[in-house]
Amino acid sequence: MARFLRLGVGALLGGALLCGGSGASAQVQSDHPEFEGVWKIATSTTTLKLPDAVPFTAKGRNEYAANKKMKARGDYDDYDITTSRCSSPGVPRLMLTPMRFKIWARLGYVTFDFEWNRAIRQIDLHATKQPDMMGDDLVPTMTGDSRGHWEGDTLVATTTNLSERTLLDDLLPHSVDMKVTERLRLTDPNTLENRITIDDPAYYTKPWDAVITYKRQPDAIFPEDICLDRIQAHKPAFPTS
Amino acid sequence: MRTDFARSVRLGRLALAGIAACSLATISAAAQDTPAVPKGPPGGPPGGFPGGPPGGPPGGPPGAGGPPPGFPMVKPLTEAQKLVASLPPPQPGASGPPVNLPPDAPKPSPDPRDFQGGWNHDTPLVFRMQYDMYGEPAPYNMAGAKVLQRRVLALNHGKPFLNASGICRPPGIQWQHDLNMKFRVFQNRNYVEFVFEEYHGRWYIQLDPNVAPPPTEKQYMGYSVGHWEGNTLVVETTNMKQGVYLDVDGTPLSRNGKLITRIRKIDDGQRRPFLEMETTIVDPTYYTEPWSVVRRFGWNLGSFREYNCEEQIGDPAGGAEAGLIPEPQD
Repeated sequence: MARFLRLGVGALLGGALLCGGSGASAQVQSDHPEFEGVWKIATSTTTLKLPDAVPFTAKGRNEYAANKKMKARGDYDDYDITTSRCSSPGVPRLMLTPMRFKIWARLGYVTFDFEWNRAIRQIDLHATKQPDMMGDDLVPTMTGDSRGHWEGDTLVATTTNLSERTLLDDLLPHSVDMKVTERLRLTDPNTLENRITIDDPAYYTKPWDAVITYKRQPDAIFPEDICLDRIQAHKPAFPTS
Repeated sequence: MRTDFARSVRLGRLALAGIAACSLATISAAAQDTPAVPKGPPGGPPGGFPGGPPGGPPGGPPGAGGPPPGFPMVKPLTEAQKLVASLPPPQPGASGPPVNLPPDAPKPSPDPRDFQGGWNHDTPLVFRMQYDMYGEPAPYNMAGAKVLQRRVLALNHGKPFLNASGICRPPGIQWQHDLNMKFRVFQNRNYVEFVFEEYHGRWYIQLDPNVAPPPTEKQYMGYSVGHWEGNTLVVETTNMKQGVYLDVDGTPLSRNGKLITRIRKIDDGQRRPFLEMETTIVDPTYYTEPWSVVRRFGWNLGSFREYNCEEQIGDPAGGAEAGLIPEPQD
């Protein structure tokens, strides 16, 4: 792993540092500076929730079992193209990546700027959805369509239009009709909590929650992370250390 | 996994956005990367502009009958430049559709040193940078001309060489921002970060190299250090992991080359501000002297669309090299 470029001294820098710029009041300011900064999952895991605690439908259970068998055989490309090809883990699996991510909350978007493979995710907070050049929502994507709003100090994001070519974690399946609701809030200045609700009647009999926490890290310029170079070197898609 | 349709659409978009962002219709070009031509008659539009006299062919004479009296003579082409001029011409470029922002779309900051927000290159994509920003032929030496010749001929024969873009690796800062796709700029006191929609691109510009020295491993995008000259951010990029294509056709930059990018925000108070980036290419390996191109970037705060090239590159049906051919080494 390339060297971790630490910026600034001292341990955990508050989000206020990130929106300082030259100090000119005309500069773009963070919508929620307390959310901004560098974060990392508190306890590394590949599992969003243990299967015993997940309310599978028969279809969901069967597909989960099939995924387990393929994993045991090492047939990753048949069910997990993130592991085999570095394809985007999508939502919500991106939120389990073992490396750091940066949050920028500015100009009506919350941007998740992941160290892992330079992945990107945006939550659009605008009342009117901002257009793109290629047409909106023509096909499902790995990160889907995330719209958000603030409820007090909690960011509530709903994501739909998610491709079923992703998994929720390293095994749990989902359908293209899944809705993911995330409630992100600070439980203290250096701890970010993400309560994730999975609503997917085709695979799960009722909505269910998982909670992931992240710890604030020193601000940093992330070294360039190239997942495909790891795969080419016969290393795992997700670094283990 | 029942996504054949979705996948085919995604692949189509990848093709559009990558090497072949390429197939859009031609629109009239701004005066960039076009050959130098003499001025038109008094009162008329300048050469190369709509309604003006046509620009001469690449490497050809500067206009029928030569320059008018008093007009500086254009330097004769070197042998290397003649070789470049003899190559099949590049595809004409195009820009994307105009951006229609909703009423609640945020506006850029009035602070000229604050580049934050969303932008995209909004003049036609230049497939091959044959000319500098003044319309003069790029100052190739023979080594550079031969590299370009090799790449253009391979492309024209339908057997393009492996390059970073084609195998889903960071393509270098010039190609990355030249694509007519969106990017975001974030700033703090230590760095300016460009986050690109395509190729998961990142361009970090360190503002204090003492705080953030070069990484121990060279990076595809190199190492960029910036400083302010007035309201222009002047950025030097070096230390690239490998040589890069500066554009789709393969205008070369060696791994020892340097790019100097001068970035400023221009706001005339009448229309939407834009970013201007003037890039100076410094690379004695391939060019006899530094030369510069300039690009314009319009305000575009639209949502990013997903660019997931790994899904395509990793498909066992395609192969890790995407059908591209390893380029012979010099």
